Amino acid sequence: MEHVGVNLHQDIIDRCKAGDRQAHYKLYQLYSKSMFNICYRIVKDEPAAEDVLQDAFVNAFRNLKNYRGDSAFGAWLKRIVVNKAITHIGRRRLERIPDEEGFDIQEEVQIESASFPFTVDRVKEAILSLPDGYRTVLSLYLLEGYDHEEIGQVLEISESTSKSQFSRAKKKLIEILKEQKYG
Amino acid sequence: MDDSLSEFVKKNKDGFDDKEPSARVWKEIENRLPLAKHVSIWNSVAVWRAAALAFLCLSLYTFFTRPSGRPNMNAYQSADFTDLETFYSGQIQEKVEFINSFETGNEKDQLGQDFQKLDAMYQVLSEEMKIRPSEKVKDAMVLNLLIRIDLLNQQIKKLEDKRKPRNMAS
Repeated sequence: MEHVGVNLHQDIIDRCKAGDRQAHYKLYQLYSKSMFNICYRIVKDEPAAEDVLQDAFVNAFRNLKNYRGDSAFGAWLKRIVVNKAITHIGRRRLERIPDEEGFDIQEEVQIESASFPFTVDRVKEAILSLPDGYRTVLSLYLLEGYDHEEIGQVLEISESTSKSQFSRAKKKLIEILKEQKYG
Repeated sequence: MDDSLSEFVKKNKDGFDDKEPSARVWKEIENRLPLAKHVSIWNSVAVWRAAALAFLCLSLYTFFTRPSGRPNMNAYQSADFTDLETFYSGQIQEKVEFINSFETGNEKDQLGQDFQKLDAMYQVLSEEMKIRPSEKVKDAMVLNLLIRIDLLNQQIKKLEDKRKPRNMAS
């Protein structure tokens, strides 16, 4: 009963723990799409994202006994997915400072603040064109709702590095979007 | 700038989550998981269904052959029973939705007919519960819900069995 507030699907989780294959499938159906999009945003390749998703779910199902309901199940699963995705692209690649990859970030990038003049497709495209480190920090912060402390833990970087990476990533993103628009 | 980008992403979150994994992902996950646990006789749907039916018949028999109800009229319409009813109804709803997401046609019609009969029986029992509430009627109502769950479990098992040969082939 303690988990009712945290988990809408506690009964399915309990059935999974008991080895019920149907329940495994139900849980997969509930979470696979959102988790797949997380994978894709980090690894940037659909077949690879599917491999990561597969590994993450197998890992989650095998370790379900360790899930005690302290956090929402979705958050627990998301952490596994994010870790697998990051391992896939390699933490070292994330640690590289994108400036070393030839990006010259302009300090002042202005954008019309009254409205955001870009489409979702344009923004998605621009996010995918960011270097791994920028893309991952930006995705985790903007789309997955992680704060910088959590990003720091997941990526094994400091909170302040996460903040600065995010700030640079955002500037670079706007720059790319403006280039797309006016270029 | 910060706010407009964050707000834009927040407002359009669904648009950013538009990709779907292919069917191969689940198949491979399933292949990598340990074999589903052996269903013991006490987990067998058939056994539980038979037991539920037997218990229902016995309850109905004792109920209708006993001359009078007990005086404690509203005791059985307590919060406990409402909780039970809500719990089982929730399970039933969830299983029905799960089955509906998979199949259409004859089997669903058959299930629908069975459910209509059970509904009719449940209505009668609910009326009885209002007029002469007793433990027996309550039991019969719970069993009615359990039978539905058993029927749904059977249907889910059928769906699972249908899927098995394809998974084995891959």
